[in-house]
Amino acid sequence: MPDTSTGVVVIGGGSTGAGVLRDLTLRGIEAVLVEKGDLASGTTGRSHGLLHSGGRYCVNDEQAAIECVEEGRILRRIARSTVEDTGGYFVSVTEEDHEWEPRFVEGCRRTGITCERLSLDEARRREPALSRQVRTVFWVPEDGHLDPFYLVVGNVESARRRGARVMTHTEVIGFLRDGDRLTGVRIKDSKTNEEASIACQSVINATGAWSGLVARLLGVEVKVVPVKGTMVVLSRRLAHAAINRCHKPGDGDIVVPGLSVSILGTTSAKVAHPETLPIEWDEVRRMIEEGAMMLDGVTTARAMRAYAGVRPLYDLGAEAEGREMSRNFAVIDHQVRDGITGFTSIVGGKVTTYRLMAERVVDVAARHLGVRTPCTTAEVPLNDREEPLDQLRHRPSLLGVPKPHGDEPPLQPLLCECELVRPQDVAPWLKDPAVRDLEDVRRRTRSGMGPCQAAICSYRLAARLVSDRGLDGASATRAMADFLETRWRGVRHVFWGSQLRNMQVTTGLHMELYNVDRELMLQHSPPPLAGEGQGGGRGAEPAEVGAQR
Amino acid sequence: MKTDVAVIGTGLSALAAARTVQQAGRQVVLVWPGLSSLYFLFATIDVIGYPTATATESVADPAEAVARLITREPSHPYARAGMDAVHAGTRLMLEWFKEAGLAWQGALNRNFLLPTATGTPKPCCLAPASMTAGDLSRPEPIVFCGFTGYQDFAPELAASNLKRQWGAADVSAIRVTAPGYGPDRLFTSVDLARSFEDATFRDAVAAQLREHVSGDGARVGVPGVLGLTRPGETFAAFQEAVGHPVFEIPTVPPSVIALRLFDRLRKHLQEAGIEIIWAAPAHAAQVTDERCRSVLLKAAGHEFPVEAASYVVALEDWVDGAFRAGVHTVRDPFFHEPITWNKVPTDRTAESLFSTQPFEQVGYALTDRLQPADENGKPLARNVFCAGGAMAGYDPSGTKSRGGMAIATGYRAAREALAA
Ligand SMILES: Cc1cc2nc3c(=O)[nH]c(=O)nc-3n(C[C@H](O)[C@H](O)[C@H](O)COP(=O)(O)OP(=O)(O)OC[C@H]3O[C@@H](n4cnc5c(N)ncnc54)[C@H](O)[C@@H]3O)c2cc1C
Ligand SMILES: Cc1cc2nc3c(=O)[nH]c(=O)nc-3n(C[C@H](O)[C@H](O)[C@H](O)COP(=O)(O)OP(=O)(O)OC[C@H]3O[C@@H](n4cnc5c(N)ncnc54)[C@H](O)[C@@H]3O)c2cc1C
Repeated sequence: MPDTSTGVVVIGGGSTGAGVLRDLTLRGIEAVLVEKGDLASGTTGRSHGLLHSGGRYCVNDEQAAIECVEEGRILRRIARSTVEDTGGYFVSVTEEDHEWEPRFVEGCRRTGITCERLSLDEARRREPALSRQVRTVFWVPEDGHLDPFYLVVGNVESARRRGARVMTHTEVIGFLRDGDRLTGVRIKDSKTNEEASIACQSVINATGAWSGLVARLLGVEVKVVPVKGTMVVLSRRLAHAAINRCHKPGDGDIVVPGLSVSILGTTSAKVAHPETLPIEWDEVRRMIEEGAMMLDGVTTARAMRAYAGVRPLYDLGAEAEGREMSRNFAVIDHQVRDGITGFTSIVGGKVTTYRLMAERVVDVAARHLGVRTPCTTAEVPLNDREEPLDQLRHRPSLLGVPKPHGDEPPLQPLLCECELVRPQDVAPWLKDPAVRDLEDVRRRTRSGMGPCQAAICSYRLAARLVSDRGLDGASATRAMADFLETRWRGVRHVFWGSQLRNMQVTTGLHMELYNVDRELMLQHSPPPLAGEGQGGGRGAEPAEVGAQR
Repeated sequence: MKTDVAVIGTGLSALAAARTVQQAGRQVVLVWPGLSSLYFLFATIDVIGYPTATATESVADPAEAVARLITREPSHPYARAGMDAVHAGTRLMLEWFKEAGLAWQGALNRNFLLPTATGTPKPCCLAPASMTAGDLSRPEPIVFCGFTGYQDFAPELAASNLKRQWGAADVSAIRVTAPGYGPDRLFTSVDLARSFEDATFRDAVAAQLREHVSGDGARVGVPGVLGLTRPGETFAAFQEAVGHPVFEIPTVPPSVIALRLFDRLRKHLQEAGIEIIWAAPAHAAQVTDERCRSVLLKAAGHEFPVEAASYVVALEDWVDGAFRAGVHTVRDPFFHEPITWNKVPTDRTAESLFSTQPFEQVGYALTDRLQPADENGKPLARNVFCAGGAMAGYDPSGTKSRGGMAIATGYRAAREALAA
């Protein structure tokens, strides 16, 4: 890995870092994004996927609510292909919820959130799955589903088209300084452990729940509290719109519809480290029970997997804990606070407000660099052909579904049948040096995110790693196995019903038809069948997919 | 409906049990709750591929390895079935395949070592004749051949892995065009298999192979798509046209090789007048005086009983959908007994996907006569016997022994049912 140099190094490839990279690039500042995992592999790809109307915060956190209202409107303009405009409902179930209603209505009014009370009949006509326990329903048209993976990738690709660089699976392990001036970062390839330096004039720390750990590398303090939340993915879409409990934000009180699935969430528990993310059965059970209070079908739908993320809650020093802490974000100018030139941190916030957060932190960094170009991210769309998410995906013409008597092209092949991903959707990513394992392909294409959880498409992807990317069989098989193992980790928490049944197909296919378990074992021992002095390369290649550099 | 033995299940163990009853000259009814993994997944009959779930050295002599396993683990399903059942069951199935016109090869005293679609060698005992030219105990070079646009067999991947694992000779990969198919068309293995029954199509593929494969005795490995309803003649004609030994490699569901076997055996039973009740999930056993009097089936809109003198329950662990896994409790569809109870669902799984799984081991506890038993070892009904995946306590995935165990236990359970 060679040393390099740039204007600004952005640490962190979540929604915040991606937004920062794009903002810098649009202002004409040269930048490199460094992410220790993959884009959206941190909190952003483990969030709930709700484009907040602000309704959830309008009572306790007016400022956050107002930011959501404004940013939601902007995203619908500039990032339409990442937003599914579902609208949302706030529903009351218990007496306590009922008492919250006037405060909610008043909060919406004060913060400018559109909110309309519906009759129960009208609400049930629109959402037949609303449970019998629901007593009051408010329609909040500006709730939506935000695809965090597309959002991050969309921002980064937009920046790359304008010359920005991105280094995934590369961790910042230290800083270079000249007295009180930051002059660069030390980086390490997480897969090969190679180290190098990037010289730069300025560093933006956009590492969310990790920002305290990163700041500590420089000897300064950023107080973030990692608060874990767990979610459950159901294979069916139970409602058209997002369903929120109308009460003081609590556990399991939102069901987000995303394309064909529903996501139940979430919980709130302080954890010691952003990567300590055990999923407890009690959390999964509670998500399902709470979801069932609002929607019918939650308990009988097929649960596909569970996952967890950590909120990067910025500790303002108040006594407040967990949900009571502000969702707001903070820009920390370390030049002003700690006397270190060229270092700025951005902490807290939400995916929904990523653009605003980026704007604020880049304002500070640009000022120090003497760049006066204003922010344009609220006006310039992510890409030229912005189309709404739900129309872009699952659009029959994309798949070439023929009309009964027309001359339409024949059905196009699918690589992942569950998620309707075509081979050509995957092909460009397999050539991208930033894509270094099949999980990275999954985050960019949704391959393997359907009910079968990669049982079928994993082989097809491994095949392409050999044919399109020139990997040897051992590395490709290892990549396939790693991909299946990562999917398996999330399935284990919802191991009953159809999902359990499906997993016997996975083990049957991969262990009994392909014998992958032995392939893996044999990679760690010399080939048993090899004759004297023959038999190709011995031993395993590293698990890493791309040997790009 | 009254019969001597009712066999409930769709897999290999159910078929072995039905055939055993039929060969004994008694009346049998087959009840199929849903399609099994045999229908879309499997291709070979694995008796025992590795002595343990983690051994890397494959078994050379399955009969000897099973005998050793029986001595070592007296409660293993193979031990319960007994060595005699292993031999008799295998003989029964091979004779049946022959009678049904299915060309299969293999014997209990040796394993083939066949390359899979990932190129990994896999030991298996009995295999369709169309697969066995791939045996890696033979030294001839191997050319893996895929089709442009066909995603379920990747010759490049298979060649790269096999080359590393098998030092005996050359391994290479080519891709040819299957006329009418390509990267811009949606098709499956079944479409290709149908096309291969057409001589023009077949010859067009063979011509390309003749051109690419030089005449040094190489053999050609192709995905298992050489014919669906007339596989024997399709395979022979293709091999002849290619001019090299050809072998098939099984692919992802739908596995054509599995479909052929299943469909042929089903038809063969039906031709012999054996009744098969399709897609009728059993949902209750009526037991009085320790005997099962009937099994209630649910079919479109109504319920009807199947009465038999005895029953063989030859369900799979999960794929056929007979066992129901709730969040904590797994129940069977007959006695509605809690088969297992798990505090948390995660306990049903191992941390790694590629290791022995608790959920694969779920099933009935058994008596020495293969009767489903309660926790005290008392039979739930004296005339009900169990075979295959529905037996508790083993996961055949690691040892590669699902098929052999299905046959041995299917045979043994049927013998018990006949004697009951
Ligand atoms: C809006 C949205 C919609 C979704 N829809 C679907 C869907 O339709 N179908 C579906 O299957 N899934 C869906 N998911 C969930 C998704 O598939 C993953 O579960 C999620 O991205 C988390 O990844 P994981 O489960 O692989 O993580 P894990 O299994 O928890 O971890 C994977 C790897 O990341 C490492 N890791 C652990 N914690 C962290 C961390 N905090 N940061 C970085 N690395 C860490 C682990 O060590 C491990 O190696 C959705 C997620 C979102 C946000
Ligand atoms: C359970 C849950 C549900 C949520 N639901 C929603 C929702 O519905 N809607 C919404 O708007 N918001 C939601 N949020 C909030 C939102 O997800 C986060 O605020 C947002 O994703 C934070 O983005 P980020 O880019 O700051 O952090 P991250 O996405 O965590 O990005 C930081 C990145 O920095 C990387 N990194 C860390 N250390 C280093 C290093 N040394 N070198 C290089 N890289 C490093 C990490 O790998 C990580 O990818 C939710 C949060 C949680 C936890």
